[in-house]
Amino acid sequence: MAIEMNMPQLGYDMSHGTLIRWLKEEGSLVKKGEPVVEIETDKAVVEVEAEEAGVLRKILVLEGVSVPVGSPIAIIGEKDENISDFDISNVVDSLDNSSEEEAVDPINVIDDSKTDSILAIKEEEDIKQNLVVRASPIARRIAKEKNIDLNKVKGSGPLGRIVKEDVLNISQTQVLDNVDKKVPLSKMRQQIARVTSTSKNEKPHFYVSCEINMTKVIEFRSQLNKSLENQNIKISINDLIIKASIEALIKFPNFNAYLLENNIIINDEINVGIAISETEGLTVPAIMNCRNKSLTEISIASKDLISRVKDGTLNSSEYTGGTFAISNLGMFDVSNFIAIIQPPQTAVIAVGTVMNKPIVVEGNIVIAQMMNATLSADHRIVDGADGARFISAVKYALENPIGFLI
Amino acid sequence: MLLTIRESISIALKEALNNNKNCFMMGEDIAGYGGAYSITKGFLEEFGKDRIIDTPISESAIVGAACGAAMAGMKPIVEIMSINFTLLAIDQIVNNIAKLSYLSNGQIKVPLIIRTVTGGGGQLSSTHSQSLEHWYASIPGLTVVTPSNAYDALGLFRTSVKSQNPILFIEHGMIYRNKNEVPDDYYEIPFGRANISLVGEDITIISYSKMSCVALEVSDILKKEFNVSCDVIDLRTLSPLDSESIINSVKKTGKAVIIEEAHKTGGFAGELIAIIQEACFDYLDSPIIRICSEDIPIPYSRKLEDSIIPNTNFAVSEISQKFNLKKLTY
Repeated sequence: MAIEMNMPQLGYDMSHGTLIRWLKEEGSLVKKGEPVVEIETDKAVVEVEAEEAGVLRKILVLEGVSVPVGSPIAIIGEKDENISDFDISNVVDSLDNSSEEEAVDPINVIDDSKTDSILAIKEEEDIKQNLVVRASPIARRIAKEKNIDLNKVKGSGPLGRIVKEDVLNISQTQVLDNVDKKVPLSKMRQQIARVTSTSKNEKPHFYVSCEINMTKVIEFRSQLNKSLENQNIKISINDLIIKASIEALIKFPNFNAYLLENNIIINDEINVGIAISETEGLTVPAIMNCRNKSLTEISIASKDLISRVKDGTLNSSEYTGGTFAISNLGMFDVSNFIAIIQPPQTAVIAVGTVMNKPIVVEGNIVIAQMMNATLSADHRIVDGADGARFISAVKYALENPIGFLI
Repeated sequence: MLLTIRESISIALKEALNNNKNCFMMGEDIAGYGGAYSITKGFLEEFGKDRIIDTPISESAIVGAACGAAMAGMKPIVEIMSINFTLLAIDQIVNNIAKLSYLSNGQIKVPLIIRTVTGGGGQLSSTHSQSLEHWYASIPGLTVVTPSNAYDALGLFRTSVKSQNPILFIEHGMIYRNKNEVPDDYYEIPFGRANISLVGEDITIISYSKMSCVALEVSDILKKEFNVSCDVIDLRTLSPLDSESIINSVKKTGKAVIIEEAHKTGGFAGELIAIIQEACFDYLDSPIIRICSEDIPIPYSRKLEDSIIPNTNFAVSEISQKFNLKKLTY
């Protein structure tokens, strides 16, 4: 039975995906789960796998073309199966060809405004993103001759185009000083901008902080790592924080949930997202299926995740499947900070550096290794007291690390 | 003397018939009726039925016969009532008269003039209102003459009569009555030399035939209302084309407008734009504007027809918007 392969939703707010490369040709056999095509989202290039085994019968979207999520991109079926039930006549090979064409009455005028407007929109986007400066050819030539930066010239022509007069005026009199530099947002920054604003707009954040005494857990870690040395496993502080969070999430499942209309949907799985800073910006990929993972399993999974972020070989569910997140700025000299919740999750925990601090234990001042943690949570789903219980559970797990062995 | 285009062409024809005994005319209703546009009124009486010949309604026969006569050494002047009807003779025009000199290595000349009438604006509906002259301008071997006034019509016709090559002399039905001063002394206008009908600084307006009249009105309004001065270029012949005048003017102004009556898609304006951008890219200060008939068959209804074919007001508003011209305030 032939099936349509559709543009997958690879991100929480992904609306379109660009087809980068077909890994299979029309007519070739595909196994279930075998990568068939590479799709680019705002964040990354992701391989998409075949949902069913069969023959790649028909490619519906050519490489380099962007189509909306859910649009058919290929047909997979039996070798000789009749696939005429599918709409295979319209191979999308250019921008916005994806919408169904209306039947054209031959008497109707051919509407060239459509292509005009697509081009205009494209140009408008380029100009907004500062990829091109709107300037007439002669203005460009004069600017080049006189070494004028067109970014610093204000255009007086139609649509703000810089015309000859503008560059002549500027070269005679004033060069605008103190013009702020414009840097266009990268795709990734645009994505971060969208996600964080959405989160702050729709999620009433509240915050609960505490200090966690990490002395025991750090001691525990060094003993553990010694014993794991021959297995080449090294548990990080972050792995311990992940493990502590998982325990808290098992106790307080409302923090492992999301809101859908008037329902709280509690995720069955616990997928812990880790905020990872790349040169281009932040991603929060998730370690999947953490509920029953041991500390060493978490450690292995976390290292694997980080290395694959750098290769760009994460799969789509890892990018979007997180149910809770941890943001750790411990590698910087940061005492505490507050994170923004990654939609559609309910909470995120932000931790700072572990620092030596004097604390009072049984009436004595002693030096302890202290870390600040701040929980950000969605007030629509949980309240301040819930937050306090949750972060206390994290604190308890870290301060009593023997529990990790159970 | 002040002449209408109709009168000046009539004079030019008589001159040709009087000066050249091999010259004769053929066409539908040109003899007894005096021509659908009254150009040849009285010709039958003056020159006799051997030289002013009414033909059956068969354009391919008219042009084919004239082609043969021209090959045999005559100077036929053919009238095809409308450029829309030249389509019935397009094989004779494109495959015979345009090619014969080349096919025979110049041994055969086809010194034939086909006069015809182009354009819309007279409520003659879709099949009688087209502007197809640029089709012929794309055929090497044809000279395409498109006068916009009595002076040019007379001067260009005289050159056509002298030419050894096939000429399409394309008149516009809506401007026959326009009057111009025409000198009494003999003059000719060479092909491929545009008329700079107005000299300005800011914008180049390029047009031909009736749209040259519109261009002058447009430039007048632009001067008065926006204090913008225009170079107005009347191409006079589409083939050969005076690219040099266009290029020089656009290099000076940096802004070009083409006003053409043909449909926008595939019109001559597109060709002119290509020439301009090839030669003047670094001089352009704005995208080139083309003002053409909409891409639909010319309607019969007066109001619809008026809204489809470029006119002065529409051209002024297009130009002022697209060039961001500021209206003068007093």
